[in-house]
Amino acid sequence: MKIAVLIAPAVHPVSGRPCAGEADLAALALAQRLPGQVEVWYAGAADDAALADYLARGADNIHSLSLRPDSDVLAALGSALQGFDMVLCGARSGGGDGSGLLPYQLAEQLGAALLPDVLDLSKSDRQWRALQALPKGVRRTLQASLPLVASVNPRAATAPGWSYARLQQGKIQRKAATGAALAPVVLEPARRARALVAASKVSGHARMQGAIAGGDAKAAGVVVKQGDSVEKAQVVLDYLRQHQLVDF
Amino acid sequence: MSFSLAHALTGLFWLGALLLLGGLARRASLWQQGRSASVSWLGLLAMPKRYFVDIHHVVAREPAVARAHVAAAGGGVAILLLSALNYGLMLYQGWLDVLLVLMAAVMLLGARMMQARRLQAPPRLSQGRWQVLPARLRLFALGSLLAAALLFAGPQMGMAGQLIAVVALLMLALGGAELALGIGLGWPMKHAVAGLLHLAFHPRAERFAAKSSDLKPLNLAAGELGVAKVEDFAWNRLLSFDACVQCGKCEAACPAYAAGQPLNPKKLIQDMVAAQSRGTDPAYAGNPHPGREAAVLVKPGEDIVGSVLAAKTLWSCTTCRACVENCPMLIEHVDTVVNLRRHVTLSRGEVPGKGSEALANLRNTDTVGGYPLAVRYHWAIDLDLPVLQPGEKTEWLLLAGEGAFDMRYQRALRALVKVLKAAGVKVAVLGAAERDCGDVARRLGDEAGFQRLAQANIATLAQYRFDRIVTPDPHVFHCLANEYPAFGGQFEVWHHSKLLEHLLARRAIPLKADATPLPPLTFHDPCYLGRYNDGFNAPRNVLKGIGIKVVDMQRSGRDARCCGWGGGAAFTDIPGQRRIPDMRMDDIRETGTGRVAVACPNCTAMLEGVVGERADVIELAELVAERLA
Repeated sequence: MKIAVLIAPAVHPVSGRPCAGEADLAALALAQRLPGQVEVWYAGAADDAALADYLARGADNIHSLSLRPDSDVLAALGSALQGFDMVLCGARSGGGDGSGLLPYQLAEQLGAALLPDVLDLSKSDRQWRALQALPKGVRRTLQASLPLVASVNPRAATAPGWSYARLQQGKIQRKAATGAALAPVVLEPARRARALVAASKVSGHARMQGAIAGGDAKAAGVVVKQGDSVEKAQVVLDYLRQHQLVDF
Repeated sequence: MSFSLAHALTGLFWLGALLLLGGLARRASLWQQGRSASVSWLGLLAMPKRYFVDIHHVVAREPAVARAHVAAAGGGVAILLLSALNYGLMLYQGWLDVLLVLMAAVMLLGARMMQARRLQAPPRLSQGRWQVLPARLRLFALGSLLAAALLFAGPQMGMAGQLIAVVALLMLALGGAELALGIGLGWPMKHAVAGLLHLAFHPRAERFAAKSSDLKPLNLAAGELGVAKVEDFAWNRLLSFDACVQCGKCEAACPAYAAGQPLNPKKLIQDMVAAQSRGTDPAYAGNPHPGREAAVLVKPGEDIVGSVLAAKTLWSCTTCRACVENCPMLIEHVDTVVNLRRHVTLSRGEVPGKGSEALANLRNTDTVGGYPLAVRYHWAIDLDLPVLQPGEKTEWLLLAGEGAFDMRYQRALRALVKVLKAAGVKVAVLGAAERDCGDVARRLGDEAGFQRLAQANIATLAQYRFDRIVTPDPHVFHCLANEYPAFGGQFEVWHHSKLLEHLLARRAIPLKADATPLPPLTFHDPCYLGRYNDGFNAPRNVLKGIGIKVVDMQRSGRDARCCGWGGGAAFTDIPGQRRIPDMRMDDIRETGTGRVAVACPNCTAMLEGVVGERADVIELAELVAERLA
């Protein structure tokens, strides 16, 4: 299986210097865990020093497609990555002007399935299974067959520590490439934010009353004034169980 | 009869000499595993001075043991020399026998003293063969005494004489075996031969000329990346490990060992011995690294860290140099620790805890904490502190160091600037052009990061004109004063304690006239000012100059305990039974002063980080500022 990992320099939030992006590092580390032959690819105008962090953290050979600044990397990457079974990249680049759209566009161009924001990849039968990270810690399993593109969550895997020896041994192979011009950026005035409208215009007190002591027995709550703390707690617990908010 | 005894002694002498030479050859082949090193053969000539002066400075701190060693070793060497003359060269002179009897008596006395000490051996001493060594030396001395007396008494002794002669020869053979076989088999008397050669070919020979505590640069361009295997040590470094007498003075002084972190400097050196001898030496019989087994698994050809030595042991060291300061054999433990760390950091990239984060911050922002360079002097915004522009000139250039980002230490820096201004000192700063000095990077083994920072700083400083640099950070001070010269940076650097002392001595600082007596306090010596640079007196003179009496802790000055920050130990943060700064705070509490003066941003942070009831931690400059008129 041939795996391509896409990397790009990130912008350090304090100094503004180029460094490795967390998500791209996670993609590199995840790829090295999978059975297959891993190639690391970059497309863009960054110089060797900007890619050095990736060499020092486990990429021994980076294929760099040298493009002019301000050119679209999609076409160049699309033609270079034909024939790869799997393409891994960070879910978004670290800082800069990245839009986070590249994995989607690349999947479309390669005719491959896209697994977004992946934490883990594993093989099951002929399919590949991905654990997807969703907001608030929710996880979802996705399944796709090769070829596939996966954008990797920064927490997916940890790349090896920064090593000077690896930096010295690592190589960057440059290939000239041509990229299409970026679509011109269209500036438009910010749309006025729509004011939030309340569903009903009764006061807060009235809504609270409605919630806890309304005439409708189903919607109304219960005010427990009698009994000791254990009994009161039992009422709360029953409520939570009734609404399946706890499962014990 | 006396004729045959004399010949037997000659035979025994030459047999011993041959065994010793064979053993030495065997040991030398172990040392030859190491890399070549540029050593001067003149070291052999300098050896006596190094032995009688430099070693004596250390050994004399424990006078009873020093006296015992003088008697035992002095007597022993005299016996060997006299035997070489009288029996080795077959002179068979009676008067030499008289001298031999006298020297044997001296050695007997010394060995007796050693043996008495071994009855109540402090726990830092190794047991095993070391425990029985004094008894063997006594046998040797007694054998020499009997044999020489017998020969002097002449042939009139008869049967009894023959019996005594046989006994004496047996004693000599048994005792002499310690020395003759010691070097080859790694027995205790190995220390005598290896120790003398170590003095002659010391890996840091410049320490005999002047204070030498700087780390040596790696030649990165030539592919030097620290020590992975035994073969990566210089041969004289391997020799230095064999000089160890396992006295455990390093163990007793080590703050990490006392805190229960998995480091015992004595065991560390013995681990290196085990690695180079491939485990053929007798088993180590001293205290292990806390929380670990004493036995080591030597796997020839494998990296030292991970087989013989655990990485956690390596990262527990605070590089405080207490071990080096106390070592009677002048072994340089810190060099070895850093050399091994260099391999782990540069080749494997495995720095534990927050260490890798600190190194990444240094790479990306040129500060340890990941701060923007532009905010380093924000604390001085209202102090009218000039920021030096390229080409401008100032008398004093103030380098605030990493402490400038710490809100607590900013108070100390403000106090320092106020005092300097009151004294009329022309001082300026670099502002956003100041980078970290690279101390943390270097001690954590990132020599590449250190060299980058050092070269960048030297290039920056070359753009400005100043007479001297002053810094309140002993780590910045040590780096610039002692480690930048190797990269072509020659600066006159003063620690602020020295400048304050200088100003007070010249009465340049206007002090309050009232003579209200100030409460006494205690002073915590920073390792990188004290042991690294012998800056023991300046801070004490400053306190004296502003009328504060210093109540020294039991462990102060040369014996001061580290605060636990040095060597990046605060970042790698290897767990132990206790925390080092907590132990130091106990030392401070013992003085009963309730206040401690510090002269280092990192000691300030570590001691203020002690939880619960603790003494007030006040910076030297703050104390002086309080007394400003």
